[in-house]
Order: sequence, then C-alpha cells, then structure tokens
Amino acid sequence: MKLELRGITKRFGSMTANSNVNLVVKPGEIHCLLGENGAGKSTLMNILYGMLTPDEGQILVNDEIVTIRDPKDAVAHGIGMVHQHFMLIPVFDVADNVILGSEPVKPWPVIDYKTAIAELLVLAEKYGFEIDPRATVENLPIGTQQRVEILKALSHDASVLILDEPTAVLTPQETDAFMVILRSLKESGKSIIFITHKLREVLEIADVITVMRLGEIVGVTTPSETDERGLATMMVGREVNLVVDKNPATPGDVVLDVKDLFVEDERGLTSVKGISFEVRAGEILAVAGVQGNGQTELVEALTGMRRPSGGEVILNNVNLHGESVRKFLDAGIGHVPEDRQRFGLVLSLSISDNLVLDQLDDPKFHNRFGRNLKAIKLNGEQLRKEFDIRSQSAEEPVGALSGGNQQKVVMARELSRELKILICSQPTRGLDVGSIEFMHRQIVAIRDSGVAVIIVSSELDEVVALGDRIAVLFDGEIQDIVPPSTSREDLGLLMAGAYSREVSA
Amino acid sequence: MTDTATRPPQIGRIMHFALRARQANMFLVLLFSLFIGLVFGGFLIILTTPALMTSWGHFFSHPGGTISSSFNTIWFAYEQLFQGALVNFHSLRLLIDNPSKINLANVLAPLSGTLTYATPLIVAGLGLAIGFRSSLFNIGGQGQVIVGGVLALLVSISFNLPPFFQVTLEIIAAVIGGALVAGLAGVLKAYTGAHEVIVTMMSNYTMVLILGYLLITSVFARPGVHDGASKAIEVSGQLPYFLSHLNSALLLNFGFPIAFVTVLAVQWFFNRSKTGFQLLMVGQNPDAARVAGIFSRRSIIICMALSGALLGLAGMLKITGVDHLATPNFGGSYGFDAITVALLGRNKPWGVFFGAIFFGVMYTGGAAMQAFTPTNIQFSLSQVIQAVVVFCVATPALVIEAFRLRDGASLISTNGSGGWV
Repeated sequence: MKLELRGITKRFGSMTANSNVNLVVKPGEIHCLLGENGAGKSTLMNILYGMLTPDEGQILVNDEIVTIRDPKDAVAHGIGMVHQHFMLIPVFDVADNVILGSEPVKPWPVIDYKTAIAELLVLAEKYGFEIDPRATVENLPIGTQQRVEILKALSHDASVLILDEPTAVLTPQETDAFMVILRSLKESGKSIIFITHKLREVLEIADVITVMRLGEIVGVTTPSETDERGLATMMVGREVNLVVDKNPATPGDVVLDVKDLFVEDERGLTSVKGISFEVRAGEILAVAGVQGNGQTELVEALTGMRRPSGGEVILNNVNLHGESVRKFLDAGIGHVPEDRQRFGLVLSLSISDNLVLDQLDDPKFHNRFGRNLKAIKLNGEQLRKEFDIRSQSAEEPVGALSGGNQQKVVMARELSRELKILICSQPTRGLDVGSIEFMHRQIVAIRDSGVAVIIVSSELDEVVALGDRIAVLFDGEIQDIVPPSTSREDLGLLMAGAYSREVSA
Repeated sequence: MTDTATRPPQIGRIMHFALRARQANMFLVLLFSLFIGLVFGGFLIILTTPALMTSWGHFFSHPGGTISSSFNTIWFAYEQLFQGALVNFHSLRLLIDNPSKINLANVLAPLSGTLTYATPLIVAGLGLAIGFRSSLFNIGGQGQVIVGGVLALLVSISFNLPPFFQVTLEIIAAVIGGALVAGLAGVLKAYTGAHEVIVTMMSNYTMVLILGYLLITSVFARPGVHDGASKAIEVSGQLPYFLSHLNSALLLNFGFPIAFVTVLAVQWFFNRSKTGFQLLMVGQNPDAARVAGIFSRRSIIICMALSGALLGLAGMLKITGVDHLATPNFGGSYGFDAITVALLGRNKPWGVFFGAIFFGVMYTGGAAMQAFTPTNIQFSLSQVIQAVVVFCVATPALVIEAFRLRDGASLISTNGSGGWV
C-alpha cells in the first residue's frame, strides 16, 4: 500500500507543530522518521492514526484522498500503530489482547476462542513469531509484549505499521530480534514507519530516512548517503558531539563502599543478591544491565528509599544502613531518579519550586516570614540560565516542559547541593541527541570536580561512553566489573547472564 | 510540539498572555455560572407562581403582558434576595438623608446576617480545602464540627474565667478536639492504609451518636428539661457582638475576624510555610516527595490534624457565636456544605472565603425573598439556584462550551481536588 501525506499543517494555538509536511511511504518500505523530542513526529503520526485532525493537508492511500477521523478509520484504511507505551491489558492473555475490540463470536455473545487462536497462530507463523496465545501478557518479557502489539495490528490487516520508538524498551539482543521481525514484515510487503532517535538503528534498517525539526521536514536521505554524524547534524541543526569528551579519570579516596548488599522488592523477592563494590571520588561507575535485573532496587537501597535486607552502605566511613531518605540526602547523595516525572518532579509546581524540592531545610531559602520566595525565584532563574532550561520563565509549571528540559531541572537541583556522590538512573532515557550531549557533559564535569558518580543505564552506548568502569548486573548479581574498552558483544553476553570467564574463553 | 525556546519571542509573549488569561477565564466561568443559576431560578419562579402560569396560558393574546409580568415578578424576587442578603436600598437612602445610628444599623443588618451565617462555613471550608489540596479527603466535617462545638460548650460549662480567657480556652479545646479526631484518621491512614474517606465518614456517625448521648447526661442537659437542648453558653463564653452598640439585632460577632485571620493564615501556610509546601508536594506527587526526603506519613497526619483543627474551630464559632447551645442535630449539614464551599472556592483560601459568603447570601437572601414577595416564593428556590451555580462551577467545560468562551477547557481543570470531590 502506498501512503502519502500532503501538505499537513497542524497548529496548537499559536504554535505550529507540523508545517506543510509531505511524506511518501512506498509499499514494502521501512521509512524511518527521525527527529528530536518535540520535532513533531508524534503529532504527525497521531494525525495519520486519526487521533488528531490536521488543519490543512490531505492523507492519500493508494493515491486516493481519504478522511481519517479516528483510529477506527485509520485501521479501516490499513494503518496500524504500535505505541511507545503498550496498550495491552496486563492480566489478559495474548489471544484476549489480540482480539480485544474485534472479538469473533459464535454464537453471540460467546467468544469463539478456537477460531481466534487458530488465526493468531497462522499469523504468528507467517511472520516467524514464536508466541503462546494462552500466556498472560504481564508475565511476558517486554520484547514479547511488543510482538503481541504488532500481531494485534497485523490481525486488523494493517499494511502500514507505525512503530513509535519501539526499541526504547528493548535489550540489545531483543533489538536484534526485532530487526529480524521488521525485515520479515517488509518482505511480506508491509510498509513500516519507524520512529526513533537512535541513529545506529536507523542506519541499519531504513530504506528511506526522513528527518524532522521544529515541525518541518528538513531532509530526506538514505543510509548509503549519510552517516551518524550527518543525521545528528540534520536533526539538531548544528554539529553535535556524539562522543563524550573526557579525560581519563583520576580516582581519589573511596566515597561509597557497598558490602554484601541484599535488597528485596515489594513482593519480598530478593532482587539484589549480595553485591559488593566501591566507588571512588572522581570516577564514574556505570551499572549496565537489562532492565529488571535489580537496578531499581539497588538504586533505591543506595538512596535510602528502600531498607536493604542485608549488607552495608557506607558513605565516607559512615554506615547509612536503615537511615531515612533525608539522612542519605544530607550525607551528600545526589539522586537523579529513573522515572523523572514520577519520582523527580511535582509537575504542577513551578520550575523554581521543583529546583528546591529537596532543599526545603536550607536556611538560604528561608526568612523570618517562612519560605523566602524571592530567593527561591532567584535560584530558579540562575539555574535556568546555567542549565539552559528552555522555558519562558522559572515560574512556569514543570509539566509544561519537554522531557529533556524536565531532566535538566532534576539534574540542576541535584548538582546545586553539596554532593559526595551522584547517582543517576537512566539519565538520558527518552532524551534527544542535543539533551543527551548536555547531560553527558554535566556528568563528566561533576566527576572532574571530584564527586563520585554512579550511572545506571540500560543504554549500552551510554554505559560505554560515560563509564570509567562498568559493572554488569544480571539477576541481582554483579557479573563482572570491566573497563569501557570491553567489546559490545562481550558486554551484551554479560548482560545476558554469561559469566566473564565464559566470555573470555 | 515545538520546543519553548525555539518559538519566536512575539509568539512567546502571546502564549504568556494566554496563560495569564486563565484567571480571567475562571472569573468569566463564575459569572456565567451565576447567570445560569439565576435564569434557571427564573423559570422555576414562573412554574411555581400560579398567576404567571395562567398568564402564560393566554400568551398568544397578551404576549407583551405575559413577558413583562413574568420579568417583573422574577426581578422583584431577586431584588428581595439581594437586598435581604447584602444591602437594602431603602435604608441606604434613609441613611444618606439622615445619618443616624439606627439608620446605619438598618443598612448593615442584611450583611450582618449573611456574614454571621458564613463565618463558621468559611473556617470549615478552609479546613477541608487544606485536605483536598493535599489529596486527603476529610469527609468527617460534621463530626469534627460537633467535637469542636461540644468541647467549647464543656469549657463554658466547667469554667468561669474572664471572657477573653474563657473564649481562648474554648478555642484551644475545640481546635485540639477536632485535630485529634481527624488526626486519628490520619494515623490510621499513614500506618495501616485505612482510607480516610471511610474512617472520617464513620466518625460522623459516631460523633452524632455521642452527641445524642451527651445531651441527656447531667453534665450537658438542663435539669428537669427533656427537649434535647443543652445548657446554654454563658455570656462570658460567647463571642462578643461587635455592632451591638448600634442595634442589639446585629448579630455579627468576633467569629468573623477570626475567620478572616484564618483565611490569611491558610494563605500563608500554603504559600510560605515549609510544612504547607510539603503537604502540597505529598498531595500532588507522594513519590517525588519521598525521593526529596519528605516523610509522607508525618505529612498525612499533620494534614488531617490541621484540617480537623479548623473544623473544630468552625464548631466552636458556631456554638459560641450563633447557636449558644447544642441540640442533637448541632452538626447539621455543615460538614457537607463545607465540602461544597471548598469546591466552589476551588480550594483557594480567598475562593473559600467568598464561596462561604455566597452561601450566606443565598441563605439570608432566600429567607428575605420568601418573606417579602407577595406570593411567598419559597426559600428552597435560593438553594436550587445555589446548587445550579455549584454544579456549573464544578464543570467549567460545560460553561465554556455553553457560552463559547475561548478554548480554555485545558487550562481550567474540572476541579481543584484531583477529580475526587
């Protein structure tokens, strides 16, 4: 199926989210849509999928103008979408999720599971998916859940699939498997619109690359005509430094000493199983690993959010075991949490207020009438300038900022305290190239100022770029601590649970 | 969506203006809500006045007369409502012609009644707003008002101090009592997860029954009388009237300045105090508050206790300023009216203040309307208008749509309490 967007313009109030966008997706083509956060990719795809109506322009399917008022129309025209956040019902099984909304019934109102499952298996086999229709979705790994989403779209006879940042949640191995699926879909004649900001993947899989910036298309190219640097420049509109500039670390004294740490998750299962490591002043320890291997619980234990079931967390020779979060913060631990919107910010409050969220006791933000609003505002304006937080003023609610700017607020707040160690969990998740570059520079700068840093990331590129040492976490244990020069393949194997001696063997 | 900083500056200024117009939009919503309420009330007046209905039966022979007589009736009713609640034009004219104490008292009489009725409601509404802004839903207003009232009464019965100390002691007792009852719900929520809505709601029943029991005990009951009313509060324990030198019928008492100061205090609490800010944080995002080192259990307990303290104070203001004795239905619907007032005021201190005064206006004005209209338009009409206004304010999207206001639906959230109340 040939899909064409012609002259699409969409305004929100005085802001133009899409301006005269033209896009052609040919049958059997993998079309990558690349752009920073806020470039207008999602708006465009929401228009295509009928969730928004364009102010101007047309959508053409096989050279005929069609009107898409809602997702149902989109599905009827053979357009399917897999959202970044899956729209699956966790407690239903695979078959239930796939037929949801279009259940075959015989006789009414009994659902005809036999037919449903048979059709599902035919479909899965056709595209080489291995899937158990009776497995409950919440028990499946993320990669498999994604396949369920894709199957669901395919079951509606989609011939154009929109995939919104599908690899953001996948491990390197899962991503490889995902690429295989994409190719098999392509071979069977499906067109794919692949939204991402991972340059490596784009170059690997795309037939055509369309780059968007500020709501406009700034370039159409192919992998053979460009490289990572060229794409990044197009996306951001200026030269971007893709490699993190940093001098070798000059580690000082041990700041954080973790001994034989055991942590249980909320279900009471031990998810950190006897970890020991040290972090020294002026070095970055990167913790790599596929999500769900104990990183969350490890970070929670290191920041006082969760009381370890065993072991010790010693900061500058002071044992912090069992202390309150407040004590951890006061001891000089900076915490950039994994989910900034949920754990790092109060979205309805202003940027200024968010910049002092964990510094309410600081006397400089008090006067004799209570909170010193002037000082808080001033502090907000200063940090806003220093960290290039893009907003009209520091009094805007944080919820109005883009993800990158929200992360800058969290980072600015933590760095404005006296730190001994900074613990960043997924510091650049969901950020665009420009913001990633900024975050990385900040992290290296704080390291160079003599603070110990722990980075927890499931992004292999980031771990390698930032870490002075890399600890690979698998199933709650540290597999090995390796230098950043270790090959990606070996890191991938460590992340998948192979012990280092097997890697080197 | 385009990144903020990349917008040209003039567009930025427009956006800024749009954000500021949000306040004005809320004002328009209030204005239109009032309009809808009055129009709705007008239809009810026509429907419930037999003479007007007869006249509408002859609409086609006398269209002009029908409309003008309907309009006159409605206008007269609302005029009585307004004059009965705020200011009487006739007495105002008399005062201007002849400035005397008695004429001044007559001018102030309607407003005095309105503010007297509104006073406990202001404080009770503030108490609930504290909870709602922190996402804690104290439904136990009725019970906490009872506790505050009963403890104030107990102080008045047991002690015989000079007026100032007597009243101060009453306030302290009422505040502590309310704080303990609501604080208990807070403790249960913080440590066992028991939902505050259930606990506080059940506490209402408990307090009503305890009140019923206390009123027949020898401590509270008047000897030999079994009408359910308690002993009265001695004059030394009453809140003094402050306009009584003009006319002893002016019932406005020192409860009103206390309520006024409470508004300022709550305003300060949320804007400037550390605890207030922490409560907001815990209310808006408990997870982020925890990461920032705030002990959310403590915040929950403090918040509930403060909320209850104000409701206890409201009970004290009611018994020492208005009722002067307790009856079995002392708590009345105060706890629930206060929820509506908090909603009407969108949980903002000044919003609650004017919301409660609006309730006062509809109450005293409604009584005046019934008394002075020739057909005795029912008091309950004012309550219907009030309900329609509250309904409209609670659903701004409806008003915005009905009057084709500028698209502000996304700017004005449906209500200020996270969609619960």
